Amino acid sequence: MENQRINFDDQISRNKVKSVILMFSVFLIVVLLGYVISYAFEPGYFFTIMIFSIIFSIGYLLISYYNSDKIAIASVGAKEVRREGDYRQYYDLVEGLTIASGLPMPKLYVMRSNQINAFASGRDPKHSVVCVTEGALEKLDKKELEGVLAHELGHVGSYDIRYMTLVAVMVGMISIISEIFLRSLWFKSGGNDDNSKGNAIFILIGVVLAILAPIVVYFVQLAISRKREFSADASSVKFTRYPPGLIGALKKIKEENQPRDKKINKAIAPLFFANPFKELGSTHPAIEKRIEVLERM
Amino acid sequence: MTAGWIIAGLFVLIVIIFLSYFNRFAILGNRIDNSLSQIDVQLKRRADLIPNLLETVKGYTKHEKTIIKEVTDARKALISAGNIESKVKANDKLESVLKSVFALAENYPDLKANTNFLELQKELATTEDKIAYSRQYYNDSILSYNMLCTTFPGTFFAGIYGKKKRDYLQIAESERKPVKVSF
Repeated sequence: MENQRINFDDQISRNKVKSVILMFSVFLIVVLLGYVISYAFEPGYFFTIMIFSIIFSIGYLLISYYNSDKIAIASVGAKEVRREGDYRQYYDLVEGLTIASGLPMPKLYVMRSNQINAFASGRDPKHSVVCVTEGALEKLDKKELEGVLAHELGHVGSYDIRYMTLVAVMVGMISIISEIFLRSLWFKSGGNDDNSKGNAIFILIGVVLAILAPIVVYFVQLAISRKREFSADASSVKFTRYPPGLIGALKKIKEENQPRDKKINKAIAPLFFANPFKELGSTHPAIEKRIEVLERM
Repeated sequence: MTAGWIIAGLFVLIVIIFLSYFNRFAILGNRIDNSLSQIDVQLKRRADLIPNLLETVKGYTKHEKTIIKEVTDARKALISAGNIESKVKANDKLESVLKSVFALAENYPDLKANTNFLELQKELATTEDKIAYSRQYYNDSILSYNMLCTTFPGTFFAGIYGKKKRDYLQIAESERKPVKVSF
């Protein structure tokens, strides 16, 4: 028991450190991109572009740090749930779980989707959000829903939400920016500009960087989910003391045969309770494996 | 000169370690107090719901005076209970008489269909869950605290700061046995 608690503390500090490292590397990458861009296109404006990219990346970091939860919620188009509203059971269950876990009450959201799924986001437990799909509220019974919600609170308590949301929002954005960069290079090489050797090298670096960025996204996303899902499952059981609830929910997800949800952006897929894209099995551990671990508890 | 710096550095390090352990005891101790007051909040919430429930039930069941009185008494006992142990005990008693009220409702279809009654029933069930959770969190908090007190190096600092192991909230007998419902 104590081991588990210590691991829990370790997890929190590891997530905080990783978030700082992530933000710092994003800063470096953006500045580096600025450097490459300025050399590739306008060497004359080197300092202007560098200053701009530093200001831009700091602003970008601050905005995504303080608004990552809102960005994630907005990207799935979720509605806020209040105590007096329609989703009484959902609200009551989370309230009970906050008592069991000692966490503050998160803001609750519901998103339209027939899949059984949920995610949590935010920068710390005081600024956290939990979002479930309409499908989950309809198809899961009380104990199963409670298991899923406790899993999400497990992510909240361990600060997984901070790191995971930052990865999703920041790295997701980088991949978009570098894609734009790559496309503009494409246009440029089509024209009849003077192709000095220096320019060519930097264009090459730019292309490599732009190709690498989505790959980096891919690997980062691979790295963040797997272990976290198991430990969030463990926290869920710690809060509810009832593994069959979560097992039941996982089984229902396994059996349901919903088409992939087009509304969910790929970058935020790792945030979810279960992988929203069934055919890309890599961001989450296999459901069978999770059930197996839970059954041993 | 260097030796002086090293000694000063060690001294600072020791002070930091002492302070950090002091804080850990304080944080975990506060957590216990908070979770204790959370139990109180939930118990009070339950006690507050009961008069409404009784009003609704009375309207439909004129001849069930004894059971109503039992609930009223159990509620009174809960409100007047002093320390947490007796509160929890009173709560267990209340819980079992409440179960017989809901069992009673099975004989009165009109009562069972009453929206107010259904609402209260749901509300009481939720509160019951929350009571259980608050007790669980209380025991979890005690566990973390006791672990700090009894494992090295925490046990060393516990001796210095005069911190002792705390007692768990016991699960009442009535919760271990399935509740018998009498009519």
